[in-house]
Amino acid sequence: MARFHDLEVTDVRKTIRDAVVVTLKPVNGAAEEFDFTQGQYLTFRRDFDGEELRRSYSICAGTGEGILQVGIKRVDGGAFSTWANTELKAGDTLQAMPPMGTFFTPLDGAAEKHYLGFAGGSGITPVLSILKTTLAAEPASSFTLVYANKGVNTIMFREELEDLKNLYMGRFNVIHVLESDAQEIDLFTGLVTEEKCAQLFEHWIDIQSVDTAFICGPEPMMLGIAAALRSAGLDDSQIKFELFASAQPGRAKRKASAADAASSANQTKAAITLDGATQTIEMGKDMTLLDAALENAMDAPYACKAGVCSTCRCKVLEGEVEMVANHALEDYEVEKGYVLSCQAYPVTDSVVVDYDQ
Amino acid sequence: MSEEMSIESYLAQGGVLTNPSNVPPRYRAELLKMMATFVDSELAGAAGFADIINEGPGIKSRIAAAKIVLEKSDSAEKVLRIMGEFGADTERYADHHPWTARLERDADIGQSRSKHDMRLAVFNYPLEGWADAVVMNLLMGRAVAVQLEELSHVSYQPLAEAFRAIRPVETRHAELAEEGLMQLVEAQGAAALQEQADYWWPRVAASFGQEASGKFEGLRAMGLRRTPNEELKASWQQEAAAVLSKAGLKPAG
Repeated sequence: MARFHDLEVTDVRKTIRDAVVVTLKPVNGAAEEFDFTQGQYLTFRRDFDGEELRRSYSICAGTGEGILQVGIKRVDGGAFSTWANTELKAGDTLQAMPPMGTFFTPLDGAAEKHYLGFAGGSGITPVLSILKTTLAAEPASSFTLVYANKGVNTIMFREELEDLKNLYMGRFNVIHVLESDAQEIDLFTGLVTEEKCAQLFEHWIDIQSVDTAFICGPEPMMLGIAAALRSAGLDDSQIKFELFASAQPGRAKRKASAADAASSANQTKAAITLDGATQTIEMGKDMTLLDAALENAMDAPYACKAGVCSTCRCKVLEGEVEMVANHALEDYEVEKGYVLSCQAYPVTDSVVVDYDQ
Repeated sequence: MSEEMSIESYLAQGGVLTNPSNVPPRYRAELLKMMATFVDSELAGAAGFADIINEGPGIKSRIAAAKIVLEKSDSAEKVLRIMGEFGADTERYADHHPWTARLERDADIGQSRSKHDMRLAVFNYPLEGWADAVVMNLLMGRAVAVQLEELSHVSYQPLAEAFRAIRPVETRHAELAEEGLMQLVEAQGAAALQEQADYWWPRVAASFGQEASGKFEGLRAMGLRRTPNEELKASWQQEAAAVLSKAGLKPAG
């Protein structure tokens, strides 16, 4: 299981009004663990009012820069991103897991490839890492970036991209598409949709020459772009996605407290929700929640039945259960009420559990 | 840019998920089951085949068998690693179960799984000697190729990529089995092998699951499946029957 490490914040820089670039330095000899591949992300954790939140942010640095940087855009109501944008400062310590993610393709110094990147808003962070790394590592390859934003003043890394254009003249091209700010060319105004991509592929982007496309942005934009790329002849293995749920809740709900204590009877009334339907069953306290659900013809998920794979995870909303073994859930998940149903025996006379949460 | 879309409708329209943090609970459960089924089948398959290596006629066939054991273990590890990103204890997982365990040769379990692991039912039957292992590996190898083609389009990108990397390796195993079968036919004639083909044909066919599976629509909406079980089974039947007939064998009626 991945472990969290301490990272020292060495710099916090605003890029636009509501986004910061945070520079980090691994401490306590963890530097090697944070060797990253372009396009990967870091998962941070922090306590907010006694509740642990975890958030993932993409690395925006190139691999050859010798620096570890992530971009954090403030999300409305997002506890972590708001905190990072308003309170985080140099000298603070953050905790993160080693870099993860597969949003990259292998590089080859002799390659002569054409890469196409699509980024929507803060989706630029991993794409920036990829394009900087690729242009430096493959001197004969070129990169075209289609970058969608609301308006000119919300473009993250605008100056850095201009500098890169000058540095890699003829190999790096950026097309800014702005939702609300008019531009000289009509095509560059509006949303990046399937139709917009198709038009871009007619005159502005030589889609036939594209080897690999990278897309990072909100869900509808990713769908539209992917559809256009497939119509243009790219197959699944040539299209790389990175999606971070925009619907990540800012704050996790608190676990419902155990209402009733254990009593003498050896029976429990269990209300089990699966696929939106709730079934209430009588079960013995010597039976696991999973077996009880299966015995009652519910198609509850499971695989190993040994507490190691986590397939059977469910959430206890009311009552108390006891897990005899847990090799897969972390403390913070258990605190939120998650249990491995193959290992969980009811303790209270009634329990309410949900596989859908 | 600020357009809101639920993960469910994103998936239903062909969207792709890329890391554990944006995976909804029921999707997570189905994805983990899918991965566990693959990992358990590969580990059980490798374990069963390991016992057969020494029965191979000549060094070349023993090398082929050993290579298959090695590569099936490697394929299992590729997928188990992704399960690890969801929290599975990968080291404990690989060792928590006796993967060599088999039922009786005539056990009639249809499509049911054992109580203790998620291997496909076909991997619960014991192999009886070299020729039996070759026939099983040929028929199941073709089935795995069909299933991996389907699974290489799953909406969880890291898993789709793993399956795309695994597919040519597994396809090669079926080719090795075909070469092995041709050698056996040359040495002992096709008639001696028909019994094995009759034994494995219905058991491999059962690994495609139920024909009218109510689960399929749900899995399709999540982008975890696209082709119905009966279509996959039909394309396997056609391919596998063609390979058998090259060897002078017939599929079980």
